[in-house]
Amino acid sequence: MAIDRKRIIQALSELEVSGNEDGLIPAYNVFVNQLPAGFWNSFAQRLVRSIDIDLLEAGEALLVNAAHECGYHTGYGIITSEEWKAVVQPMVEKVPEDILHGAYAVFTAWGWAKSEVTSIVPGEKMVVRAYDYYEADPAVYGNLTRPCAYMIRGVSAAFMDLAYGGDYDPTGKTGMRTFQCEQTKGIECGDDYGEFVVTRA
Amino acid sequence: MATRSKARLALDRAFDAKACRHYLNNNMHVLHCHHYATLYCQLADDCSILDAKKLLADCAEDAVYDVLSGYFAANGIDGVVDRIAIAEQYFSAAGMGRMVVVCAGPDGGDVEFVHSHVDEGWIKKWGQRDEAVNFIGLGFVAAVFAAAFGRPVRSYAVTEVQSIVAGAERSVFQVVAN
Repeated sequence: MAIDRKRIIQALSELEVSGNEDGLIPAYNVFVNQLPAGFWNSFAQRLVRSIDIDLLEAGEALLVNAAHECGYHTGYGIITSEEWKAVVQPMVEKVPEDILHGAYAVFTAWGWAKSEVTSIVPGEKMVVRAYDYYEADPAVYGNLTRPCAYMIRGVSAAFMDLAYGGDYDPTGKTGMRTFQCEQTKGIECGDDYGEFVVTRA
Repeated sequence: MATRSKARLALDRAFDAKACRHYLNNNMHVLHCHHYATLYCQLADDCSILDAKKLLADCAEDAVYDVLSGYFAANGIDGVVDRIAIAEQYFSAAGMGRMVVVCAGPDGGDVEFVHSHVDEGWIKKWGQRDEAVNFIGLGFVAAVFAAAFGRPVRSYAVTEVQSIVAGAERSVFQVVAN
């Protein structure tokens, strides 16, 4: 693998993102926002803690889905961007596996999670570890009984969609949701790292 | 009527290379896209088992209030006019659009979004719709008034009376003290 994570993280973490004269951040084929991480965590936590246990998985699935769509469209925007072409593309030798490794370096640089791919079975399975991620922050004291990194789950499934789910579909009708992701470990649950296993849906 | 402030928002960006987290003025911020923001709004809108629209607005109010009140305290921003100017600039720096506080007093006021991340993102994703969707914006505006007038969160009720997502030129919010 020729992906130099350290170099990617250093280069892309220094990009300054700020609104244009309209207060919008058009980039990577999407409008980008930068809000306090606590906002996203608060809504997810208050939502899942407010709904009946019978509906918990359904509620969690909606949070994962938001990230899945975000990861699919923004992920495609990232891997076709000028920044990617300049920094990551020259390191890519094996497609799409090196693209996945590079994508998690970008994922890390953007502050979503300090994460890396630990194994890939091409077309079938990917395991990701996250050593620090904002979604673990709700556990200020003690450990949560359920993992809650819904964003990492959704984006990880989306990255596999982009890698092995066929051509990118801007409508999201095909190509998306060909993979699903389960969180098997979580810092918020007392584990040393978060672990995410992506398999065919 | 107070004149417009010349106060400028200072953006101190930092990347914690060990944890790989981004900070804006000592508050951890994270980049997301309009798909994520609009799907959270859609989730809140569709939720029938609890008032998730208020929940989303409350979470936005709490988060933005912390950022603004922390900034005002750290930088000695005491005047309402300066506070509102800083809040308008923070709204844009966050990529949420362009917010204009038309008038404001301790009992309420009027706010317009000349551009709106959520509304324009929603239109880009799904097209126009009749009902307002910017629940994040509701919370943002409530936080601006609470922080500007030195009051706690939930001090203001905000209603979106005109929406870009519904085809209006700009979104309009009415604010009233609780």
